[in-house]
This record gives sequence, structure tokens and C-alpha cells, in this order.
Amino acid sequence: MISVPHYLAVGAILFCLGLVGFLARRNLIVMFLSAELMLQGVALNFVAFSRYHGNLHGQVFTLFVIAVAACEAGIALALFLMLYRRKRSLDVSLWQSLREPGVDETTDPEPLPPGPKEEPLPRLPPAGVEPVREERQYV
Amino acid sequence: MAESPDPLSWTVLLPVVAGGLAVWYLLPSTQRRSLQYGILIGLLALAGVAGFLLRGLEDHVSQTVEAVLFFGFSGLAIVFAVLMITNRNPARSALAFAMVVLSTCGLFLLLAAPFLTAATVVIYAGAIIVTFLFVIMLSQQEGPSNANLRSREPALSTAAGFVLLATFLVGLQRVYDFRSVDRAIAHASALARADKIDPDYLSPAGALDVDNVGKHPPPPLTDKARAFVDEMRAALDRVKVAAPRGPDDRRLTDHRLVQDVENAIKFLEVSGFTYRDEQDVQSNAQTISDGLLRLKGMRDGAPQADDVLLSGYGRVEPINGAPRQLPAANVSAVGRTLFADHLVAVELAGTLLLIATVGAIAIAGTRRERPA
Repeated sequence: MISVPHYLAVGAILFCLGLVGFLARRNLIVMFLSAELMLQGVALNFVAFSRYHGNLHGQVFTLFVIAVAACEAGIALALFLMLYRRKRSLDVSLWQSLREPGVDETTDPEPLPPGPKEEPLPRLPPAGVEPVREERQYV
Repeated sequence: MAESPDPLSWTVLLPVVAGGLAVWYLLPSTQRRSLQYGILIGLLALAGVAGFLLRGLEDHVSQTVEAVLFFGFSGLAIVFAVLMITNRNPARSALAFAMVVLSTCGLFLLLAAPFLTAATVVIYAGAIIVTFLFVIMLSQQEGPSNANLRSREPALSTAAGFVLLATFLVGLQRVYDFRSVDRAIAHASALARADKIDPDYLSPAGALDVDNVGKHPPPPLTDKARAFVDEMRAALDRVKVAAPRGPDDRRLTDHRLVQDVENAIKFLEVSGFTYRDEQDVQSNAQTISDGLLRLKGMRDGAPQADDVLLSGYGRVEPINGAPRQLPAANVSAVGRTLFADHLVAVELAGTLLLIATVGAIAIAGTRRERPA
């Protein structure tokens, strides 16, 4: 029978995956998504215990968690917009001047791998102008 | 305590270690790694977790629609969660998070929370994901970037997360694995119903002298009797949390059960299983078996004599000792609980939403770009 510990295990897995994502990723948006993932794991715990105890307070608590998460999302996304306007990047390491005193600066020794080569866009003439024919193309 | 067949919990630790390796391998890094190995280890870890959920907590999970749906939804949630934290493209991460939310909503439905399911789908998969995609669209970058292609201390952060996960899962297994209690109940019940008590239990020193209980030391227990008493003690220790004594003996109604079982074990231990006739020993074994069974039922959610309640709205009374069920009319019951028990919290949440709106507008509302 599927009972509470099964749901608790899934909730724990989601929570810890969110924790890893929050600690490891450097994109502000992905970090924030990871925090939301942790909240999902916690919500699963609350609902499982609500079923276990046979009352609805756990579900109501989850509703409040969702409300607080919505507030958090609004504020955080507004903050991300401001940070992006300052530095033109979502990299959280650009803000490491805010770190505690006595902590070494993190640097990136290895260069980034080159991105995929983009194909040049085709050049089109302005509308209404007959394109210049390149004669040798048709030789 | 009975010897555990898996003292180091390898059934839990192996999948957790494999999962940690897979996540560390799949996290963004400047080194070129081929994805196949990470995916392979990840699938192995997933299979290990499924095996833990199937066999690690009880002997077998009955094959019901609920079990199939549970494993489907939780597998989807975990797979998409890993995709979310390892994907190099934040837009794809957001879409994977939407899938995680939808899978979690399936689990909510299995847990009898339809209103919460609808609310989560509307709020998360609707509003929040659209907002995320909007922000991602605003800040779309070209080419490789530090933010997406590098990780911050991937080995350390993966280790931190998965050590925590191992702690959780080992704790779950230690707390919820009731197989030793089941074995103890079976032993006690067999002893109580046997035609004649196995002579290995009987103390060779002869019957207890009733008149001189305090004066002479109790008759020595045989090995088998000692093992029986220890097993019952361990089982009682596992389940007596269900009926705590509480401050100033407020929960005495349920705690009396624990005391009955304790007294029965004590009697068997002191008397060396040889008090007057076999009827007494067997009736005490029956008391132990019944008491353990009821305490275990309480841990599984059977009703107790005095529950702590905020109000009667939040729960439905049990019928004839059956496990408590949530009401079928979920929305009205949630509404009653919300506005009868948690009215202040509702008002506070509303205030919080209002303040958050004002704050978000104040933070992001400036239209003017800063001069570069």
C-alpha cells in the first residue's frame, strides 16, 4: 500500500534536488526555480501529512505556502530585472562584491567553450528594387 | 533490538550515491562530457529509488492503480527536476519546472486534495511560469555565458544536497519500517494461541513463589525467553510514540495501553514464563500482541481517544474505528477550515500579497534605463 513514507521520500528527493540546483547553478532565474522546487517538496510533505492525520490543516498550510511563494516570485523577478539592467547579465557571480569579508574571490580559470557558429543571415535588397544579378552564377 | 538485515542501509545509500554522481556529471561545466554516462547512472539511481520504495519500507507494495499512478507521477517529477537543475537553457528549465509542478499536482490528487491541485496548476503552471518566460525573454542573451555554462562548486554542492537526502531516506526507513514490529506481533500471537507452550521458554528453576516475589531473585530466563522479551521491548519502543503520556498525563486514555503491554512483558520476565499455569502466560502474550497491534494501528492513522483539534471543521469523525478519511467535499471543507480556523492567517496573506505587489512595482517600475 502506498502510504505516507513513500510521499515523504519523493518530497525529500525534490527538496534535495532543489537544494543542489540552488547551490550549484549561477543563473539567477534557475536559482529561483530551484527554490520553488524545494517549496514543492515541502508542499508534498504537508499534503501527505494532511491525509495521514485525516484533517485539512496541512492542505490549508500548503495554500499559504503557495501564496507566500507567489509574493516571493513577484519581488524576486522585479529584483532580477533591476540586477539585469545594472550588469546586463543574470550571472550571480557578478555580484560577488557583496560577499562576506575575508572570503576569497571566485574566478573562472578555464575559458568558456565557443558557442555554435551562427550561419550568416541572407542579405535581402530593399523592397521594390530589382536584385543585382551576379552574372557568373549563371555561367 | 532485533538484528537488522541491512545495518548500513545500502539499499538507500547506493541509489543516493549514484544519483549524486549523475547530477554532478550532468551539471553545466566547461569540460566537454558526453551525456550518455550521466543519463545511464541517473536511470540506475532512479531504478534504485523505485526499488527502495517498493521493498525498503514493507515487504511488498500491492499492485493497485494508486501504486501505478504514484510511481508514474513521482518518476516524472524526479526526472524533470533533474532536467531542470542541469539544463543549460533557462527557458527549458522553466518548462521542466512546469512539468514538475504538473506531476506534483497528480500526487496531490492521489492524496485527496483536488482544490489544491487546481490552485497549484492555475498559480504555478499558469502565472509563475509565464512570468518566468517573460523575464527570460526580456533578458535573452546571445552566445555562451558564464551564467548558464558554469556551475558554482558543483562537487561540493552536489555532496551537500545528497548527504542531506541520504539522511532523510535513512531516517525514513528507520522510522517507518515496521517489519520488526510485525514479526514481534506474530511471535506473541503464536505464543498466545499455541496448544502447549514450547518448553524452551519455560524457566528450569520452577514456578515463581507468589508469596515471596520481592525476597528472592526472579527465576533465570532461558535464551529463547530472553530473546522473546527483548523483541517485545524493542517492538514496544518502536510503537509507543503513538500514545505518548503527555504533560500532566493528559493522554492517559491511550497511554494506558502502553502500560498494559509494559506490565505484561514485565510479568513474563519476572515469572520466567512459569506462573501457576500456562493460561496466565498465554493471556499475557495475547495482551502484548493486541496492544502492539493497536499501537501500530494508531501510528498508521487509526483514531485515538483524544486528538488535538482546532475545531471540528477540519476533520471528519471516524466511523467504527476505521482509519480517518478526508471529506469527499474537499472544496467546502477546505473553505470552512480556512475561514473558521485560520482567518487571521488569511488576512495576513492578503496583506502580504498587497505589499508584495507594491514592492514589485516600486522596484521594477522605473522605466528609465541607466546610462551605461
